[in-house]
Amino acid sequence: MTQFIGMDRRQFLAALSAFGIAGAGAGRDAWAQGREPVKLGLTQPLTGSQAGFGADFVTAMRMAQKDINDQGGINGRPLELVVIDTQAQPQLGINAVTRLATVDKAGVFITAWSAVVKAQAPVANREKILQLSVGANSPDIARLGDYVYTLFPLADVDITALAKYTYGTLGKKKAAVLYINNDTGIDAAKIYRAVFEKEGGQIALFEAYDPAATEFTGMLLKLRAANPDVVHIHGLLVDVPLVVAQMRQLGLRQQITSYSAAYNPKMLEQLGAAMEGFIVTSLAPGADENPNVQPHIDRWIKEVGRVPNGLPFIQYNYDAVLICARIFKHALDNNKPLTGENLRDSLLAIKEFNTPLTGKTVIEGHRVNKPVYLVTVKDGKFTPLAKLD
Amino acid sequence: MLTDPALLLQVLWTGTVTASSYVLLTVGFSLTQKVTGLWNFAQAGFMGIAFYAMYFALNHLGLPLLLAFPFACACTIIAALVTEAWGLNVLRARHSSHLTFFIFTLIVAEFIIYWLTLLFGTEPQTLFKSIMSPVHIVWEIAITDWDLVAIGMTAVFVAALAGFLRWTKDGQFLVAVADNAKLAELYGISARRAYYVTAVIAALFITGAMYLVGTRGGITPNKPLELILNAVIATLLGGMGRVFMGALASVVLALIQSYSVLIMSSRWQNLLLYGFLFVAIVIFPRGIHFPKWRKRPVVPAAVPPGG
Repeated sequence: MTQFIGMDRRQFLAALSAFGIAGAGAGRDAWAQGREPVKLGLTQPLTGSQAGFGADFVTAMRMAQKDINDQGGINGRPLELVVIDTQAQPQLGINAVTRLATVDKAGVFITAWSAVVKAQAPVANREKILQLSVGANSPDIARLGDYVYTLFPLADVDITALAKYTYGTLGKKKAAVLYINNDTGIDAAKIYRAVFEKEGGQIALFEAYDPAATEFTGMLLKLRAANPDVVHIHGLLVDVPLVVAQMRQLGLRQQITSYSAAYNPKMLEQLGAAMEGFIVTSLAPGADENPNVQPHIDRWIKEVGRVPNGLPFIQYNYDAVLICARIFKHALDNNKPLTGENLRDSLLAIKEFNTPLTGKTVIEGHRVNKPVYLVTVKDGKFTPLAKLD
Repeated sequence: MLTDPALLLQVLWTGTVTASSYVLLTVGFSLTQKVTGLWNFAQAGFMGIAFYAMYFALNHLGLPLLLAFPFACACTIIAALVTEAWGLNVLRARHSSHLTFFIFTLIVAEFIIYWLTLLFGTEPQTLFKSIMSPVHIVWEIAITDWDLVAIGMTAVFVAALAGFLRWTKDGQFLVAVADNAKLAELYGISARRAYYVTAVIAALFITGAMYLVGTRGGITPNKPLELILNAVIATLLGGMGRVFMGALASVVLALIQSYSVLIMSSRWQNLLLYGFLFVAIVIFPRGIHFPKWRKRPVVPAAVPPGG
């Protein structure tokens, strides 16, 4: 059997039973009868510039699906993932949720990327399909309607903690914020600015850049003139390495911080020594904090041949499938059809989930609250720096 | 800030260096437009082939750059010649309309990009694992090794083309075909050969440009469609048929983009390009032409009667 976070088959069965998914032995028999699968929609970028993350998210969710199905599925029914590519484009995201609601008749789907999540929300609310955002972090996501929930802490959680840590613990009094001009960057940058200023700090430069930009010298010279103590960069995998490379090449040596998108081994390769001291947030515990994480990384290396892109996101996506399985089981145990309405009721009824890779998840309103982990680059490796509750 | 000479010089340097890849792409695009009369958008596809061939040779075949670069040149030249021989030549023989050529080249670009996406995925790739380059500070200006390679490579390519057009028979034939293909054929110059030579030159320029782009940042298969926009705007602003003015226009565009950030937010930087495209199409459809300096006519000295 595929290893489940370092446990053997028996331990895994016990764990899933404890989590409340597997039907403890009954599953295998029912499986053989070819029962109707339980459908879970996934709308992720499998092509386009964000595919490096999106494809890995899907891989993580397929691992969770396999673990669940290997143990007999959900009350004996196999879990089926209906995966639709969004290219991280809002319009394609809308098409995807429309298809899931009207053609596939899925009651719930997992999605990501703030712009996509926001665009999909009106359709999810209208069609009454439960939308679970995992990875997108715009604070607006908590206010998108009755059927939209996030299983991933929003930017106000980690960016608030980071801004406070930067001012209070690191003692940086003057910050610059460089951010990508889209939903990922704008909201988070505003939060960073508001928190840092509230703490008593000064924002010396607050500058957005075009998502298609590749040349940042002008912006970085403004940065040089502003002379901040710390620079917070809130962008994506395509642009953040370019900004950092050009910044260092211009001789700008300030402390840089970013968020979990920059927690990526590819950036270490591309930037080398320029990444030393870089601080990123992580909303999931690392291998040092959670013994289940290292076996999961080992599983990636064994099955995929490398470590995943964006490990914290991977942890959340793996756990999100387990949470969905638990919701499905709750609805089935109560003899309710797997509609969006019933699944939302199950989510709110259960409310608290103990997930293996990210720890306890408690639904509070339309959001979750989690501790923030800070990771820094030391000797060319991501190294734990602090845990902020 | 705007009065700090070191800062202004840094923007001038970096803007000029950034323009180097745009110059190479514009020259390839503009030369093709000059000789064949076509807006060859298939070059976006050739850019993709040039980059991914080099990427494949370096990272999958493990070839050194000295072999990977010629390999990419060869792949790009083959793609350009195949498109010329079995695409554009066929359309010329059918006397197809300009719209047909336009659509055909666009489809070729999209087709190639589609295949590259299937083969290489859509994660941004760089030619080398590291995108960092050693820096030298000269008169307070940061100059990287990459900058020097970019400037040097562009200068060599442009100078070689200028020399080729001026001093070789094939180069002069290109100019003759660009002026009037039918008249040139009357003098025994093969227009078809001129088109092939142009395709080869454009492919070389494209490969050079993609080396520069791919060693500085990540490339995705659809990135060339963004890159070709610069070439189109610069060709329009420089004036159709004026290859080196197009190159100059691409430098000016890059500098305007770079300097603009000092007085406005960087998020508007790329919007400027579309603004220029609009202005170029509406106001300068044949490029910006400066008034020519004319010599005063020489008035003959008055000749005395009977002198």
